[in-house]
Amino acid sequence: MESNTADKDIGRYIAESAESYLAPDGQRLSVISLKTVASISRSKRIPAKEVEITALKQGIIPWRYLRNIGTISLDGQIKLLRSTVAVVGAGGLGGTIIELLARQGVGHLIITDNDCFTERDLNRQIMSRESNLGEYKVTVAAKRAGEINSATTVTTFRERLTGENAQNLLSGAQVVVDGLDNLPSRLAVEQACRQLAIPYVYASIAGFSGQLMTIFPEDVGLPSVYGSSNAIPEQGIETKIGNPPATPAIIAALQVQEVVKIITGIGTPIRNQILLVDTRECAIDRIELGR
Amino acid sequence: MALITVRFYSLWRSYLGIDNTTLQADHIDDALTQLEEKFGYRLREKLETAGIHLDGKIQDYSLILLNGIALRNLKGTTLKEGDVLHIFPPAIGG
Repeated sequence: MESNTADKDIGRYIAESAESYLAPDGQRLSVISLKTVASISRSKRIPAKEVEITALKQGIIPWRYLRNIGTISLDGQIKLLRSTVAVVGAGGLGGTIIELLARQGVGHLIITDNDCFTERDLNRQIMSRESNLGEYKVTVAAKRAGEINSATTVTTFRERLTGENAQNLLSGAQVVVDGLDNLPSRLAVEQACRQLAIPYVYASIAGFSGQLMTIFPEDVGLPSVYGSSNAIPEQGIETKIGNPPATPAIIAALQVQEVVKIITGIGTPIRNQILLVDTRECAIDRIELGR
Repeated sequence: MALITVRFYSLWRSYLGIDNTTLQADHIDDALTQLEEKFGYRLREKLETAGIHLDGKIQDYSLILLNGIALRNLKGTTLKEGDVLHIFPPAIGG
């Protein structure tokens, strides 16, 4: 009862603070600024995320999400703000995934990585800079996510994900996104996601190419591609041909779209198929996977 | 003999210069032998030119799926008309 009264009070306060905006298509929209969200968050002692959700529920759009709403709707943005997404690995794929998920307005990120940035990462890992070499990737990533979106809360684990700790590290997430660089860890994540009954957005890269697949607990998943014996390769041709900067950015962006689709229920994730993206020849192929 | 289709993807498609080919084989091992005879040398030569040295046969350094299932997971190894082999390099980086 008290909580409802408080919600109504905050809702009224937000409505009074909203501005009117005439969109290019002639539609008049109610919007709210970052500064106002921050001010309400401070004065009412509630997280910025809750202020934004309360605003969106009243049809008031935080300016920062204005360009999201036409694609995912008010309801989709609320779902994203209420969601928790785990990103495993904060390197080439992971860095761009974290950056885009924060901009998209995912409410809570769980980031796991045990590495520090080195000079070798500067060509492709978007969070790495000359000035932060030697720093832990999770520390840099959490700071960056907070700078992009103060409504996004971040939990970090400075650990290497293994079969033993995977379930603990991923617990509470609605979706897990792959920013890993080896197959054994991916298989551990896949298994943990099946046990936690949550989807896993797998991807990997080498040179000009990458591959992607969303794996729900009942889906065929990685064994269809790599086999389920112990003779699986730990690493691939990327050890010979490397990873140029655009490849992780392209594949990570596709992974983020998968996350958005899963959480909002819009569109069709790529399930029981592997998407092969070859930017060298501008070719995109899908292979149907079997059991 | 079953007529099967072999599809190449990613870097293998670039290096071999073809999307797909057909083979006549009754058994997966026959198909892999023919693949190695037809394309093994050419692929390794292209890889060497690009500074990439890989040992073994095509199946040793490629991911190969028969009708969407990894060869390691196949229950049977007999081929039937219309089967499709998908072949591409393992991309495992992140």
